[in-house]
Order: sequence, then structure tokens, then C-alpha cells
Amino acid sequence: MRALFAFRGQTSQRVDWALAVVAFVGFLTLWYLIAYFEVMPRRFLPVPDAVIGALWRMSVEGDFLSDIWVSIARVMVAFALSVAMALPLGILMSSYRIVGALSEPIIDFIRYLPVPALVPLLIIWLGIDEESKIAVLWMGTFFQLVLLIADDAKRVPREFVEIGYTLGARNWQILRDIVLRGMLPSTVDNLRITLGWCWTYLIVAEIVAANSGIGHAIWSMRRFVKTPEVMAGILTIGVIGLVTDQIIRFAHRRAFRYL
Amino acid sequence: MTAVTDPAGFLHFDRVSKVFEPVDRGHRAIKVIDDVSLAIGEGEFVVFLGPSGCGKTTLMRMAGGLETASAGRILLGGEPVTGPDRRKGMVFQAYSSFPWLTVMQNVRFGLKYRRDVDAREKDAIARHYLEMVGLADFAGFFVNRISGGMRQRVAIARTLAAGPDVLLMDEPFGALDAQTREFLQYQLLEINRRERKTVIFVTHDVEEAVFLADRIVMFSARPASVIEEIRVVEHIPGERALETKTTTSFFRLRNHVIELMREQARRTEAMFAAEGA
Repeated sequence: MRALFAFRGQTSQRVDWALAVVAFVGFLTLWYLIAYFEVMPRRFLPVPDAVIGALWRMSVEGDFLSDIWVSIARVMVAFALSVAMALPLGILMSSYRIVGALSEPIIDFIRYLPVPALVPLLIIWLGIDEESKIAVLWMGTFFQLVLLIADDAKRVPREFVEIGYTLGARNWQILRDIVLRGMLPSTVDNLRITLGWCWTYLIVAEIVAANSGIGHAIWSMRRFVKTPEVMAGILTIGVIGLVTDQIIRFAHRRAFRYL
Repeated sequence: MTAVTDPAGFLHFDRVSKVFEPVDRGHRAIKVIDDVSLAIGEGEFVVFLGPSGCGKTTLMRMAGGLETASAGRILLGGEPVTGPDRRKGMVFQAYSSFPWLTVMQNVRFGLKYRRDVDAREKDAIARHYLEMVGLADFAGFFVNRISGGMRQRVAIARTLAAGPDVLLMDEPFGALDAQTREFLQYQLLEINRRERKTVIFVTHDVEEAVFLADRIVMFSARPASVIEEIRVVEHIPGERALETKTTTSFFRLRNHVIELMREQARRTEAMFAAEGA
């Protein structure tokens, strides 16, 4: 018990779970009380069960389920694209000075552009179909990810690489068997975090111009001040995020048991 | 004791110097190795001894092809060393084995890039060396679940499994506690009695140097140059065992080397004082 309050104290996983549940229930109760006693007008802050009800109606009567699916698909495609490009480029940036020196300034420049500012341009270039949405998500994640990955690769101890050379490995074998393998745990962590950003940009893209997706659903409900529906949409994103995060964490623990 | 079979040197440092150029202009280049010539015989166990930061590690890394010489050359078996390869095995002090592999997989990694050996033979060789370092019971453990001393034994087994001509060891026992260190020193001698590898072992621990070496090469403070070579075999006769460390001849030689080291340290201090003035 005392460990809970100790500075850098250690607790068991079960205690952590219990605390997570407590926090969640506490949050719901607080929300319920505020809404129930109409501290804020009910129109603006509905009770939790109204939100659950809205979610049910949207899923059964509307096509919110297909909206969810469309959004997930967009995130998956764009993120897969980002990773497929950032992984090789990031590793090469850290391995060959020429690649790093050529690409770092451009990447840093683009990285600092706020993605929402690029949305109009991307729509002019790519239209309002899937391409522009994928492009927004890609812009938001690729340039961040490539630097994180370059950093991961750089942090693989020099000794590991040298051991590879003294065992007769060639450059590409060292990249594959030592650098990539050595950086993998921290890279998976970085992927998990950037996947979260991907959802942020998804909503931006879907609010600006879309006729499907969670962002679009939220935005169209707003027009009729259907607060429960809007909150249901937001909640859905939170739940999807929480679930993917936990899945990746679990996979991380299983795949990297040596840590 | 192993005799020096090739007087011309199996591993030959031929007037080697090394200068580190500063990254930014306006700083002086630093000479770390100054005209070192050294012939090491096949099967000889040579210890590089010298103050920290004197350049002895750099010299050894040059023999491994991990560092290039600014002047002079290094010959291994008559051929110039141009880069790292399987003939020159390395054991580092830290990050000496891969954490994502088990003990067995780490040792087998030593053979990973050999095409002339089939999978079954690789297994057999890895097992052989795993047993030689006494870690057969830990084959299935990840290396960060075992002690630091065991990890260094994994590194030694992996390096030997690769079948190198020379074994280059960079303060491999430097991070271990005294007892583990002593045990590993003894085990290394035992192993090398069978393997008869040419070894360069870098350390700044005098006792370790005297216990392990056929020959100690003492280096000055930076820039490293050879100040004395001590043929330990001539001072401590017979096969070495842990008891050797308590014999008079061992003591006498150890004290002599410590005295040399102190003198070197005094000179360095005087040099720095002169520079500061």
C-alpha cells in the first residue's frame, strides 16, 4: 500500500489495473453527476447513457459502423505507407551521411509545417477523394516517423555493428541482422505513438472534406447540435485508440521478452 | 608456455602512428600513437598495458581493421590489414553480446555468415564452445538474464566459434567484480591452452597483465609508444594456475611493473603541468 505513494515505488500489475478501473469509474461518475444536476445545460452535456443510446442509434439506424470502417481503413493505408517509406529511409539516413545530410533539412522544414495548413493545397492537388485524405495522414506521420527511426538506428551500439564486421557480415547483413533487429523494440514504441497522431490528422481531413468517416459523422451531427451523437463519435475514436495501443503494447511484450 | 614460433611476427605492427584530426578547425590534431613497431608471434598471448586513454585500445582496434593507421602498416600472416573480417575476432567490455538472442543463439551467431559450414556443423561447433566456457546449462537464456561474467564468456565463445586467427580483447573483464574477474582470467588461460590463439589483451590492471601474458607491452601516456616489453615467461616459469598469483616471482614482477607504471604516471603529470604553465 505504501508503495503506491512512494516516489518511484513499484506496484503489481493487478494494482495498476485496479487503479485504471477506479480512474475510469470516477471519471464516469463525475460526468454523470455534472450532467444529471445540469451544472451545464443538458443540451450541451448529455448524461453518459444518452451518449451510449446515440451510439446505438447511429450504428443500427445510421451507417456509423461503415464510417468507422472507412476511417480505420484510411488510417491503416496511410500509416502503412508512412512506415514502408520511413523505415528504409530512416535507417539509410543514419547509416550513410550523404542520405542524412541531403534529406534532413527538407524533412525538418516540412515537419514544422502544420498539417491542417496543407489540407487546402492537398485538396487542390488531389481532389476530395481518398487520395487527399491519405496524403494528409501521410504528411502528418511520415516526416516525424523518419526522424524517430533514424534516431533509433543511430542508437544501436557501435560495438554491435563492429561485432558483425568481425564475424564476416556485409553491410546489408549488418543492417538486417543487427541494426534493424537492435532498434526494433524502440521503433515499435515509436510506431505506436505516431499511429495515435495519425488519428488526429484523420479527423482534420474528414472534417474539411469528406462524405464518410468518423470525422464526417461528428461534423454533420454538429450541424443539428446533436451533442450525444457528437460525443459518441469522439468516444469511439478514444476507444479505438485505447484498444490499438493495448494490442501493440501486448505484442511488444510478447515479441521482446528479453527486455 | 607457448613459444614464439615465427620470429618475424605473425601479427606485425610496422612503424604505426595514428593522428586524430579535429572535427572543427582551430583545434590541434592529437597524436595518439607514435611510431610503434611490434612483432607478435603466432599463438602468443600479448597484453597491452598502459594508462587509461593512452591509445593502446586504438592500436588494438587497428589490428582488427576497425581503425586505420595514419602512418605505417599492420600485417597479419604477411598480408596487410585493410578492414575487419572473420580472421580478427573482437571481445568488447560492454555490449559484447546481442540481448535479443539467447546464449546459444549468440554463440551460433559467430558462424552465421560462414557458407563453408552446414547448419548441423554450426550447431555442433557452437555447442562445443558453449561447453568450453561452461555455459551449456544456460543455452536457452537471454543474455541479460545472466550475470556480467557469464555474458563475457558468451562473447568469448562466440568469437572463438567464428574461428579467428587472432583474438582481440578490449578490457573484457574491466566491468566485473574481483572474484569473477579472477575466475575468468583463469578460464581464459585454460581455454587458450587448448585453442592456442594469438591474443592481444588490453588492460590497465597490472595483476591481470602479469597473470595472463606471455609478454607484456607497456605503453607510455599519449601518444602511445612502447616503453618496455616484459617477457613474463622468463620471470614466471611453469604453467600458470590461480596459485601463481601468490608466488614470490609473481609478486616481484608485479611490483616491478607497478613501479614502471607509477613512473609513467609521474612523467605524465609533469608533462601536463608543463603544458599548463
